[in-house]
Amino acid sequence: MKKNNLIKLAIFLLIGIFLISLISSQVSYCCEKTTYGAWCQNEEESKCSSSFQKAPTSCEATSFCRQGCCFNSQEGNCIENTPQKICMEKKGLWNANSNCEIPQCDLGCCLIGNQAAFVTQTRCKRLSNLYGLSINFKTEIGSETECILSATSDIEGACVFAQETEITCKRTTQKECNEMEAKGESGGFFSFFENTEVVESSVEFYEGKLCTNAELETNCAPSQKTTCIEGEDAVYFLDTCGNKANVYDAGKYNDQNYWAEIKDVAESCGYGESNANSRTCGNCDYFYGTTCKKFERGVDAGSPNIGDYICRDLGCTYEGVRYEHGESFCAVVAGGDLVIGEDATFNEENLAEKNQPGSRYFRLLCYNSEIIVEPCADFRTEVCIQDEINGYRAAACRVNRWQDCTSQTDEEDCENEDKRDCIWFDVEDVKGCAPKYSPGFDFWENNTENEGLCKTADVECTMEYTKPIGGSWNCEENCECDDDSWKTKMNNVCGYIGDCGSKNNYLGYQGFFSMGDLYEKESIEKD
Amino acid sequence: MVNKSDKKGQITIFIILAIMIVALGIVIYMFYPQIKSSLGFAEQNPSAFMQSCLQDKIKETVDKITPQGGSLNPEFYYLYQDVKIRYLCYTNEYISLCTVQEPMLKESIESEIKANIQSDVTECLNELESSFTGRGYQVSLHRGTFAVELLPKRIAVTLNSSLSLKKGDETETYQEFKVVLNNNLYELISIANSILSFEATAGDVETTAYMNYYRDLKVEKLKQGDGTKIYILTDRNTEDVFQFASRSQVWSPGY
Repeated sequence: MKKNNLIKLAIFLLIGIFLISLISSQVSYCCEKTTYGAWCQNEEESKCSSSFQKAPTSCEATSFCRQGCCFNSQEGNCIENTPQKICMEKKGLWNANSNCEIPQCDLGCCLIGNQAAFVTQTRCKRLSNLYGLSINFKTEIGSETECILSATSDIEGACVFAQETEITCKRTTQKECNEMEAKGESGGFFSFFENTEVVESSVEFYEGKLCTNAELETNCAPSQKTTCIEGEDAVYFLDTCGNKANVYDAGKYNDQNYWAEIKDVAESCGYGESNANSRTCGNCDYFYGTTCKKFERGVDAGSPNIGDYICRDLGCTYEGVRYEHGESFCAVVAGGDLVIGEDATFNEENLAEKNQPGSRYFRLLCYNSEIIVEPCADFRTEVCIQDEINGYRAAACRVNRWQDCTSQTDEEDCENEDKRDCIWFDVEDVKGCAPKYSPGFDFWENNTENEGLCKTADVECTMEYTKPIGGSWNCEENCECDDDSWKTKMNNVCGYIGDCGSKNNYLGYQGFFSMGDLYEKESIEKD
Repeated sequence: MVNKSDKKGQITIFIILAIMIVALGIVIYMFYPQIKSSLGFAEQNPSAFMQSCLQDKIKETVDKITPQGGSLNPEFYYLYQDVKIRYLCYTNEYISLCTVQEPMLKESIESEIKANIQSDVTECLNELESSFTGRGYQVSLHRGTFAVELLPKRIAVTLNSSLSLKKGDETETYQEFKVVLNNNLYELISIANSILSFEATAGDVETTAYMNYYRDLKVEKLKQGDGTKIYILTDRNTEDVFQFASRSQVWSPGY
């Protein structure tokens, strides 16, 4: 009896060990590094690199792969969701707060010259150091927008100084002008003009005035030259000393007042408009779709009356349709081509032919006269949505909300666009709710979940035949179920659900199944 | 007596010669600096010598690593159009947010560049030594370490090698050499870091936000079949490019 018990216990233990090993082989491990080179992934044990640590648990529960905040003390950057080991190995400072809600990562407004950046204090120090400026970090500014708006350029003016035998001038800020003066007092300095030395130390600053102001009596005069300035949109006049003057306005070239005081872009010609290809006005605005560029024949529509620079139109034309700079719109692949506009919209009639296996949605962007194609996620897990406000089109890729379509029994609920992307169908008395953008499946893999989903569109139709004595079989009931048109309609219903049924792919090639493969006929004879 | 046709022939030859002289003049005018250096009569100072010797090598390295996520031989990458693009953030799971794979991107790229130009630096110093020895200088070169630094609008390589040149009674000493390559990689990396931060916390990025703010920047986001996103950052002015891959918050097929 005792021996029997021992044998039973041994068998029980062996089965237990076998079951545990079977389960553990499927348990997810946290691999510090995988065999394919990724750090900190939940993977099968066999995919954990043998040279690194592993644990039969989720990475979040391990010490080596716990995610936190990695602070780069040199550059002042904070990177979220970084495993401790990677951060420390790369000489970063790691903190368990994975959202980087730590004092070192507190953001503030960093003013660097006339630019602003919403960064950490360490980053601000680093940037100020890189640009040779003193740190100006404002913790009281709490948002990026507020920060950018707070960036103001220092007041500029004419910095007048003597050079050799002439009185010349440089448009600059008071601070820069004072620095010139300070350097000049120490016995001559190189000015900002290359290879010219200032021998006199008398430097005077005239706030808000242009170097071409007649009162200043400098050697700088109006010129017919124009230019683009880095970081600014507009075309500017240049004076004969190479200084930036006011915004290019051909009508004011001969106006002495226009060459006397600095004018804001808001006071200049065509403010609040794009001034695209204008021959006379260079008040370009990036947000209105123009920017200063050197005139190019064949690219720009009109040449400027004065100078070589123009407000270039940054809009685009795609498939004969004009899009403004910054606009975005949707497209879908059909027959291997990107289709936009009306052809990209969906209704009950074209649903089956639009969401073919392999097809996907795209967002197209018009930026800087160029169309940028941005695919939404594959398998139609994302769709592209588009809207228009005052004629301005904006599109976005967002998740396809088809998951609860088949469980809707009411047309109103089914087509509630706030909640889901579904469409109500009524085909030959087969009614239901189906995804508006039928999802794609990886049907070449063994995915039973998708197969099950396709089966929800199975339809059973019982046809009744009678045969009189000595006669032939005659269809009495549901006879349409044998028609090709009925089969096609039912196949379309399959297609609504996803990559089910018989479909051509997005390039038009026939899929795995033909219509005949989907149709099973069974005869039951009754007396 | 000169034949009329001979005279015509002479004129033709003169015209041809004149055209050839003018053409030669234009060629010399256009390519003078290159011709000068290729003929070897450029009297470069040691700093200029190191600059011209190293800058192409640095550029070559930068051009190789920037389309590959900042790595010369990426260990973990997505193959996109035959280019191995390094994952900077990755999760193998569906729906989950990615784990940052390279938190110190700038530093990692600096060390990649450094490792790849190590032999070129040695070679250039050797060439510098032999060049000035050949020109009759007494050369004393102390080789030190060197550092690569990514900076706004440039990449700076600082060689802590000192050089002393003696010719007759004159001695010139150089304490270090600085080689600079104009490149906007620093700016592109800053953008990449910001995108990574969004990928790790929100799973995706709105590319237009960057293009609205940085006017010369083009941001392309190309979603691949397995959910990997290829980001291509291009400076429209300089055409400098930085590419990297990320896989975060992916919806499974049929989800």
